[in-house]
Amino acid sequence: MKAQAVLAATTVAVIATVLFTTVQPAPAAISCGTVDKFPAWEDKKAASDYPDLNPDRVTQLPKLCNVNFSVPITKDVDCTKRKATRAEMSESGENEGDVEFVREVCANGVCMKTSEVEAKLDKGNIEEAESSLREGLSLNYEEARALLGRLEYQRGNLEGALRVFDGIDLQSAIQRLQPSLSEKSSSKKGRTKSDVPASVSQHAASLVLEAIYLKAKSLQKLGRLTEAANECKSVLDAVESIFHQGIPDVQVDNRLQETVSQAVELLPELWKQAGCNQEAISAYRRALLSQWNLDNECCARIQKGYAVFLLHSGMEACPPSLASQVEGSYVPKNNLEESILLLMILMRKYHLGKIKWDPSVMEHLSFALTLCSQTSVLAKQFEEIMPGVFPRVDRWYSLALCYSGAGQNKAALNLLRKSLHKHEQPDDLRALLLAAKICSEDSDIAAEGAEYAQRAISNAQGKDEHLKGVGLRMLGLCLGKQFKVSKSDSERSRLQSEALKSLNGAISFEHNNPDLLFDLGVQYAEQRNLSAALRCAKQFIDSTGGSLLKGWRLLALVLSAQQRFSEAELVTDAALDETTKWEQGPLLRLKAKLKISQSKSMDAIDTYRSLLAIIQAQRKSFGPHRSVSEVEDDKVNEFEVWHGLANLYSKLSHWKDVEICLEKARELKQYSAEMLHTEGVMCEGRGHAHDALPCYINALMLEPFNVHCKIRVGALLFKMGPNALPVARSLLSDALTIEPTNRMAFYYMGVVHRDAGRLADAADYFQAASMLEESDPVESFNSF
Amino acid sequence: MSISESAHSSPTAATIATENTRSTSIRSTFKAQSAIESLSSIITTVPDSSNPSSSLLNDPEIASQISSLLRKADAGAGNDNLCRWLYDTFQSTDPQLQLVVLRFLPILAGVYLSRVTLRKPLAGFEAVLLALYAHETTSRSGQPMTVNVPDISHPSIYHESNTAVKNNATNLNLAVISPSLEPHGTVRSTKRARIVGVALELYYSKISQLPVASKFDFCEFCEAWASGGDHQQDSSVNNNGEGLGLDQRERMRIPLSWELVQPILRILGHCLMGPDQKQNKQLFDAAYCACKSLYGRSLHGINPKAMLATGSLLSLAKLSLDSQNDGIDYTEIRITNAISL
Repeated sequence: MKAQAVLAATTVAVIATVLFTTVQPAPAAISCGTVDKFPAWEDKKAASDYPDLNPDRVTQLPKLCNVNFSVPITKDVDCTKRKATRAEMSESGENEGDVEFVREVCANGVCMKTSEVEAKLDKGNIEEAESSLREGLSLNYEEARALLGRLEYQRGNLEGALRVFDGIDLQSAIQRLQPSLSEKSSSKKGRTKSDVPASVSQHAASLVLEAIYLKAKSLQKLGRLTEAANECKSVLDAVESIFHQGIPDVQVDNRLQETVSQAVELLPELWKQAGCNQEAISAYRRALLSQWNLDNECCARIQKGYAVFLLHSGMEACPPSLASQVEGSYVPKNNLEESILLLMILMRKYHLGKIKWDPSVMEHLSFALTLCSQTSVLAKQFEEIMPGVFPRVDRWYSLALCYSGAGQNKAALNLLRKSLHKHEQPDDLRALLLAAKICSEDSDIAAEGAEYAQRAISNAQGKDEHLKGVGLRMLGLCLGKQFKVSKSDSERSRLQSEALKSLNGAISFEHNNPDLLFDLGVQYAEQRNLSAALRCAKQFIDSTGGSLLKGWRLLALVLSAQQRFSEAELVTDAALDETTKWEQGPLLRLKAKLKISQSKSMDAIDTYRSLLAIIQAQRKSFGPHRSVSEVEDDKVNEFEVWHGLANLYSKLSHWKDVEICLEKARELKQYSAEMLHTEGVMCEGRGHAHDALPCYINALMLEPFNVHCKIRVGALLFKMGPNALPVARSLLSDALTIEPTNRMAFYYMGVVHRDAGRLADAADYFQAASMLEESDPVESFNSF
Repeated sequence: MSISESAHSSPTAATIATENTRSTSIRSTFKAQSAIESLSSIITTVPDSSNPSSSLLNDPEIASQISSLLRKADAGAGNDNLCRWLYDTFQSTDPQLQLVVLRFLPILAGVYLSRVTLRKPLAGFEAVLLALYAHETTSRSGQPMTVNVPDISHPSIYHESNTAVKNNATNLNLAVISPSLEPHGTVRSTKRARIVGVALELYYSKISQLPVASKFDFCEFCEAWASGGDHQQDSSVNNNGEGLGLDQRERMRIPLSWELVQPILRILGHCLMGPDQKQNKQLFDAAYCACKSLYGRSLHGINPKAMLATGSLLSLAKLSLDSQNDGIDYTEIRITNAISL
């Protein structure tokens, strides 16, 4: 019903063009006849912009034009919706109680019923049908054919429509149109009033172009896609050649504009359907880079269509030609850049209120940006969306994912805390799990994470039960972290056993998840259950096919903790075989330490030498303009190498070499607690204990929780005499709180107690120290 | 990577070009014929065809024979004739024949990654994968693939106002989508995902020329990689899962690092939203299933990036299913009862 109104209104508008020019000077918008945007029908405010427009006259218009509407013309006419299928048309006709829907053809102010003409067409007498139209409506040959073609097209008689259109020489019609308009454009400066010739030839152009367009549509529906695309392309070519100077906005004929817009939109679709991807890309670019005066929604549809095509067609589009580039403007260089640009522009248009919200635009953008790992840019897009589009909890969760994906866990956690607040959605399983995961990476908030994980476990029910294992795993990880900051022994042992229980519980849910095996292995290793840790590490390597470096490292460290150094070295060598040069840094460092543990100092020095060689090569091949993030992860750290070497030489008491290495290290990092520690050791070794103390104290100022320095200071103080014993003792017990498995702390504690005469205590500490020594890995398990 | 269209200005250049094309096409037909000949010693029936490389690519009979050979329990060893054939065919440097090899990449990579933890000799598979990797390394000359994420406040060709603002404070985010490539002579286990990932990147760059059946194979394996045949992860996965053609041996959950996930996502995006999806409901369903499975996997690993990407794909797939029912064709004319001039 509404559709009919629109169509009728279009008719009116065309006729109105003629009417208004005689009745009164027509305001611009009306001479365009854009019903969709007819100001009086939109709202009162808009109507006041057009004081010349009399709403009463508008409603009288149909009578004036001798046209009948089945619906009253009011403000409520919804012109945006149309459903253009024949079936529906007839259905709506029945609803109204009409006998049959009667078609009419109107021209020159006269209307006639088409039943007679249709009968002739059905018999195949195109000529007769044409002549009866010409007589009835006083039309010329082309006009009559165009009307007939449209009639056939609407009747769904596509072959017939093609036959009718084939009777018009469209190319020569286009050529005839060209000179008249170029004349007009050359003289247009002088004459502003005389729009009549322009509108007449626009009208003629519209007639021809619509005919070609319908031909293209008919061909499309018949599945002759390449032909259809070529016809459609000729519409656009014709528009460019007829109006090569362009038409001022105010003068564009509505129907002409509609045909042009539709052709612009149809062409890339046709090429796509025909499988001609390159042509589709140039059609899209032509649509978007030339001026077709498209309305916002139409332009947005094309932009979205193109963005999706670029993202998913699998066709690599060559960059846009130089001709379309404006100086200083951004030109995308590949598919992803181009589609992201278009999608961002679409988002911007929505923010400015130019187009309706389309959820798929945001999803496409989110997909594209995530592919590039640019989730922080995506977060910005989510933040810009007006409130009301997404439920806020959903938006917080999406934002949290973005931030967490970009490594900004703090921001992510803050958002999750908001959405998990008791007034929002405290039981949202996904948010709980993500929050627990973030907390599990930081021992200071691990307790909070354990709480989230527990809530997640109790909420993982029904169809979400499969997530229970994830909750348990997170709980285990959080408890394991919490253990590290816990102060009391009893709590510690509780945390440890619960962490193990949770991780083992998780395994029963996800028996084939290797990550769990790894977590469990690390947990066992930290609790010095080395045989269990070994089993986990082996299983992890097996189930990942040795593809993850951390598995190899865990295995080697566990073996080293079992004092099986040569086996650990074999594992490290095997791992070195499975990696390429750039990833070998951590393994070589490990290997050097294994050598040291076996008292093969010269081999260790050799290993460090090859590490330094890698660093040199790395610096050369990556050059200065490699992005930092690329080099950062797991690559060899030069400072660590020099520092490690310094430690090695200090073990060998080669103080001169230690000094050189420290000098090198200092060039890379001026203030470092570890380096000051080594320097202190060097001073002690050279017998300058009074120089060593300031080093350790400086180091503790940089890093108040540096265990090694605390122990050293404790040891130095204890050597200074009985008065300092209590201070030494408190420093050492501090160190033990921070790192409960530090054997040196236990050892010096034993020494302190022995000197204070508490032999039983001393014996306990010594025993603990020696037990720990038997299970000390060459690098701390904390490094995972 | 991009297909360069050679524009010939002078007629002489054009004739030379046509002659060149003709001789190239003769050469490639010859190569294709010899490829078929050598294939005939490996598979039982090779149909005669006037266009050998196209039939190698599209013929379902050849495809099913090669597929079942690749899936055999002892496939992929160093002396596997089929792997040798795939390797040689790819090395022929004929683009059409290289497509044939890529057509079987989903099965090859699928079987390879599923079996690699079983410590079987798979040198044959690895040789083919390394050949693909080496090809891509050469064609990119080892350079990383990067994307400049645009800053919308800076004018671009698609901005409506073309006023060139002299805004030098460009705020472009450089994103590396595929890091630089180093040559590999063997498959080291820590590089396995990268090598297969790069092969999949090559697959994606040619995906518009590959037959639907190959993409379908990919979706099947992808689903298995993510879930390992374990449907408890998401009970709402439609039970089509069991209907898929993989047997239980091939359903192995594999480690999915981002270097593997990223090309997988691009291929799945193509299967869900690309040109085939409209014509081929089966492919859409398989890709949807794979995507669901990947989403479940990323949810279990709490992997934010993978969750975002797979989540978007899933909602896009749902949106496209919905819009198929009430799609408005904006290119249709307004059907009126009163037709006017």
